[in-house]
Formats: sequence, structure tokens, C-alpha cells
Amino acid sequence: MDIGIFIQILVWGLYAGCIYILLAIGLNLIFGVMKVVNFAHGELLMLGAYAVFWIHTYSRIDPYLVLPLAMLLMALLGVCIERLGFRPIMGTGKLNEIFLSLGLIYLFQNLVAFLWSTSSRSIHSPYGDVSVTAGSMKLPLDYLIIIIVTIVFLIGFQLFMKKTTPGRAMRATSQNREAAKLMGINVERMDMLSFALGSALAAAAGSLWLISGQLINPYMGAIPAIKAFAIIIIGGLGSIPGAIIAGLTLGIAENVAPLFMQSLANLFGFSMSFTAWKDTIAFFVLIIVLVLRPTGIFGEKGE
Amino acid sequence: MKYAILVAIVVVSLVLASGVGQSAETPSEAEEIKIGIVVPYTGLSSTTGIDMWKYAVMAAEEINATGGVNVSGVPMNITLLLGNDETSPAAGVKVVTKLITEDKVDLLVGGFNSGVTAADSVVAAEHKVPFIVTGASTPIITHRTDINTTYFFHHCPTGDDYAEFTLLCVNDIIKPAIYERFNFTEDRPLRLAFLYQDTAYGVGVYNGTKRAIEIHDLNMEIVAAEKFKMGETDYRTILTTIKAAKPDVVYPAALPTEQPLIVTQGRRDVGLDTIYLSVECNDDPVYYTGVGRSGEYSIQESRFGPYATPPGLTHDAAVKSKEDFKSRWGNYPSMMGASTYEGVYIAAEAIENAGTLDKEKVRDSLDELVMPPMIEEMKDGVITFSPDYRESKFVLYQEQLIWNETAGETRPKIIWPDSIKETDFVLPEWYEPGSAPTPTSTPTPVPTAEVPEKGVPGFEVVFAIASLLAIAYLVRRRRE
Repeated sequence: MDIGIFIQILVWGLYAGCIYILLAIGLNLIFGVMKVVNFAHGELLMLGAYAVFWIHTYSRIDPYLVLPLAMLLMALLGVCIERLGFRPIMGTGKLNEIFLSLGLIYLFQNLVAFLWSTSSRSIHSPYGDVSVTAGSMKLPLDYLIIIIVTIVFLIGFQLFMKKTTPGRAMRATSQNREAAKLMGINVERMDMLSFALGSALAAAAGSLWLISGQLINPYMGAIPAIKAFAIIIIGGLGSIPGAIIAGLTLGIAENVAPLFMQSLANLFGFSMSFTAWKDTIAFFVLIIVLVLRPTGIFGEKGE
Repeated sequence: MKYAILVAIVVVSLVLASGVGQSAETPSEAEEIKIGIVVPYTGLSSTTGIDMWKYAVMAAEEINATGGVNVSGVPMNITLLLGNDETSPAAGVKVVTKLITEDKVDLLVGGFNSGVTAADSVVAAEHKVPFIVTGASTPIITHRTDINTTYFFHHCPTGDDYAEFTLLCVNDIIKPAIYERFNFTEDRPLRLAFLYQDTAYGVGVYNGTKRAIEIHDLNMEIVAAEKFKMGETDYRTILTTIKAAKPDVVYPAALPTEQPLIVTQGRRDVGLDTIYLSVECNDDPVYYTGVGRSGEYSIQESRFGPYATPPGLTHDAAVKSKEDFKSRWGNYPSMMGASTYEGVYIAAEAIENAGTLDKEKVRDSLDELVMPPMIEEMKDGVITFSPDYRESKFVLYQEQLIWNETAGETRPKIIWPDSIKETDFVLPEWYEPGSAPTPTSTPTPVPTAEVPEKGVPGFEVVFAIASLLAIAYLVRRRRE
């Protein structure tokens, strides 16, 4: 196999990593500020994708231009979930929080299935037929746009968290909630903001997933959500840089690892295909990282 | 005393309730025929499952509208009970158990996913309930020897059938077109790449492919065989690996939620500009919408589709049935619904011939069934089940997808077999074969002695060794 094919597979891994990063950062943000694990995060990805699907289908507006509107809608939904769902039960026990988010999974899946059936849907990107040539490789323009959009979101997110007052307040809340209260920070407003931002990022991930040509259905959020959990554990709970590195690592690993395992098998004289093991790679990486560094790459003890 | 009276009332009530329940459930006194329709109404295969259910409902309504089923002079209406297997073996077993033990169905029709059907049919076998399987392709259903399969009747082609007819078409018209354009010699094997779902369905089609090549002695070579998990959404890495194997033709064994992604990602993202084959379950409106322009010139195996109807005994009935479906449900039906529609009619015919709802007699009636085809062309012009494995045989054909500007999607045209084709196969201009064309100027000299090539370590070997060393280093560091 030549190096060109390996590079092409790396690019696919990079694309997958971008989707995972957006999803994982949102999840990490919510956990970091509220110390709540939102198991329904994958359903926010799904709802974001459906938002873009329906707005694009009825308005015929470029789906990339619909993306900010979908993120805004999901941010509002995130506010509602936090205000009506999590805030009343905060402090009543972790089990309540877990069961609430599990309930939200079934609620959203079945609501979408009821409204729009379980049939898979897709859209065709207006740039679907456009490719960019790089040497011997031909890359669809959509993937480059997705990678660039992800980078823009990450830069914007970092600037928000570091340079703006609400961002600094959220970081303070995630570091020490009590101290943040004492400093005059409205922590409940920070919870709402973190949930809104987290939901918006999940919506961005779902929207980009749809635009890249994937099929969407009410149950599509399950596997990406599980991988997002693996990423935040690998990267370290509450660590945004950790989520970025882990997301990229996972996206690349699950595309490259089957190739590596096939090469290894060939070396020993076996002809086997490992491509069906792609999803297993995420948990294999998780196990290796936890064995070598139990708190995750950037995690801190006590989390 | 009061307690004694209370206990007595409770006991009497229980006895009465169980007695009432039993008499209402005695099949011989029922005025209806209960058929359980086992389909994936939710889950990954829900698009097909919903179609199967809708077509079954249409069949039952048609039968009931003409007086129902005559069971020894007693007209009985058909009542369908939906058994949603949720595209999962566990849910399939649960729902079939409920249909049989609680709902007391007389017969089962349906089953789409091979793995799910292989699991839930065990329950049907235990209870000796006739099961007309109308979607699952694995031949295991009637070939297995671990359970009593004499109550199972397979009214849909198997993976062996799909593969055989597809490869015969490839051999008859696709391979000659490729070889003529690129000047390949006849002794060059056609390079076939196989991409299959890691389930009973995918494995069945893969095994059928290997068997077809062997049985018909086809000059084809499987240069790559890659598996994927059911419901996979990202095929780029697999397709990149397949592209590296340089195939002439790619044969995915996938579902309507997977095939569009394989073809789109193959053509658009990976640049694998080849002829894509497809299993019949993808002859579905959802597939044509999903695959878009990328599916142009791909090949679709079929026996009943939403947009093409072969000439023959069933042509007019098939066209009418599709229009009736569209009027009723708002869209054209898919392939899998058609055999379920026929399955309900087959059940009705078998019960009428048996003259009873006794399951063993209905089973025997199905064994002896010979009825005219309905909306799908059948081999020898009849619906009947083979004596060995109780399989019915269909006339399968191949379509090529051609872009239709009016529809804004591709539409199928029948290209094989010759007896029913609408148009000729077109090898697209952008098509790239698996290997370089044979030079035409002078014949290649045959070397007199084989000189072994010096082995050059491939990139993947270096990669593998480097990774092993990295893992060994990490483990050693951990121990320190």
C-alpha cells in the first residue's frame, strides 16, 4: 500500500476527529461547569442535524448558512433542558441526574420518530461535486470546509473562554463553584450558558455530519455519544485541550488502526479484514490510556 | 366467615376468567384468521419494515374486500397483527413469542433481517407455527438442522440467488464491455471487490458469490473482501483499502441505509470510479434519493422495484399494485413489500386449500401449494415451494441506474436478461478498470525462466513494525 493511500486515510480520520471534537467539547463544557454528565448529548447532535435538514429542505438555503440558525435553535433547547430539567434536580443526587438524561434520550428519539418517522434522510451539499486536488489526491471540498469550520469554532471557543467575561466566569465556575459564587458570579446563569453552548456545539457536529453526506435517523446519536464519552475520559474530564487531542487521536486511530492490524496480520501470514472493528478501536484506546494514565491525558486527580 | 366468602369469590372469579380467556382464544371457534407480520418497524431497517407492513395491510384489505378466506364454507377475514422486531434479535424473539403465545396467531409472515429472523424463527419452530419468510435472504432459515424447519417457507431469493444472477449478468455483459474498451485478454480474470455487512445477510451473499464463481466456473477473482458493521456510516477507509486492491467491479452486500453511503463515498470522496453492484433490497425509493448522481451507471439486482416493471405475466398486476400503493400511502413501494404482499395471499390460499386453521394442515397445504404469480415474475410461472428446502424461485433481473433530469434522481432501466431488457448496458466514460490495459502492439514475450523479484518491504510492514516497537517501549516504561 502506498503512502498516498495512508495520507488519504489520515484525512478521513481528521474529518471524523473534527466531528468528535465538537461533540466532546460540548459534553466536557457541560460537565466542567455543572458537573453533570449529559447522556442525551448524542440526541442533541441528532436534533441539530434534523434542524438543518428541515430548514434546508423547505427554504433551499445553503446548508452551511443554515448551520448558525440550527446552533441557535439547539442553544435555546439546551437552555430549556437545563432550566426545566437539570436545575430543579441539581444537588439531589447523581442518580437523579443520570436518569433524567437517560429519559431525555428516549424522549427525543421517540419524539423525532413520531414526528418524522424512523426513515433515514440525507441532503446533497451544493459543493458535493466539487473536489480539491492536492498532489495525487482528490479531496471533496466539503471535507475541507468542515475541517476549516471546526478550526474556526475551536478558535472562537477558546477566545470566548479566555478573553470574555462570561467565558472567564464559566471557567471560574468549573474550577470552584463555591468560590465563584462568593466572587459574585451567577453560577446558575453559567450553567445555562454552558448547556446552551454545549448544545450548540453538538448541533454543529450533527449539522456538519449531515452536510458531509451522511444519513440521519432518530437513533443516530447513540454511537457518536458513546465515542464522545470515551474521548472526554481519554482527554481528561473537564479538559478542553484534552478533548481536542483525544478527538483527533480517536478519529485518526479508528481509521488507521484497521489498516495497521491488517498489516500485522499479513506479516504473520494471515489475510484478515479488521474494518468491522472500527468502533471497537475507541474503547481499546480508552483502555490503553486508562491503564497508562488513569486520569486521562490532561485529567487531574480527584475527578 | 367473611374472609371465607371473599376467598371463595376470588377463586370463582379466577376460574371464570381463565375459562372465558381460553374459549375466546380457541382457533377453531375464531371468526378471523390472525396473521402476525414480523417486520423491523423501528430501528435501522425501519424504512423497509414499514413498507412490508403497509403492503401486507393492502393485501389483507383486498382479500377481506372480496369476502375474506373461505375456510370449509365459513368466510373468515384476515386480521393482521404487527410484530415489530426493532431490527434486533432479542426484540424479534420477544415479539414472535408474544404473537404466538398471547395473540395466538395462526401464521407468521415477514422477517427481513437475516440475523433477526434466524433468531426469532426458533420460537416459531418450537411452537410449530407456519412462517412464510418474505425478506430475510440467508438460506440458513430453511437449511439449518438444529431446529425443525418444516414449518418455514422461504418466499424470497436467498443470498445464493442474488450472487448467482448478479455475477451471471456481470459475466454476460459488463465484463465484455470492460474488456473491449480496455483491450483486456479473455484469460485475464475480472477483479471483483466484495464489501459486506458482518451479519448473516452479508456473509450469505459473500458465500453465494464464492459459490457462484465456482459453480459456473466464472473467470473472476475476488481481490478484496472487507466487512463492515451493520449501520456503519463511514466507509471511506474501507473503500480506500478496496481501491488499493484495484478492482474492476465492487459488490457491496448492504442495506438501503448503507448502500447510498458506500456508493457516494466511493465515487465522490475516495475516487473509486468503478461499477457498483447492488443487492435487491436497495431497489427502494430511499436509495434513489440518497445515492443522488453518484449512483449513475451503477447496477441494481431486482425482482420488483418502484420504478421499473419487467414485461411478463405479472406486468399489469404489478403496475396496478404500485399505483394502488402510491394512492394509499403516498409513495411507491419498495422491493421487500412485494413479497410480503404475496406472502399474505399465499397464507390465505394455503388456509383455504387446507380448509382449516390447524397449523399442521396449513403447513402441509403450503408444502403442496401451486398458485399463479401475483406481482413478481416467478420461475416456471408459478408460486410453489421446493420439496427440499421450501424455497420459491423468482425471476431476477439487473437494472442500470440512469440519471433522470425530470425526477432529479437516477432511475433504473432493465439491462439483463436479454428476454426482458429495456436498454443496453452503458459503460460510463469515467470508468476506471482495476489494472492497466493490455498493450495492443506486440504480444508480450513469455519469459523462459522465472526470476524472483527482490522483496521490497512494503510501507505497511514498516508501519506494523514501528507500531509494535512503540507498544513495547510504552509497556517497558510503564513497568519502570
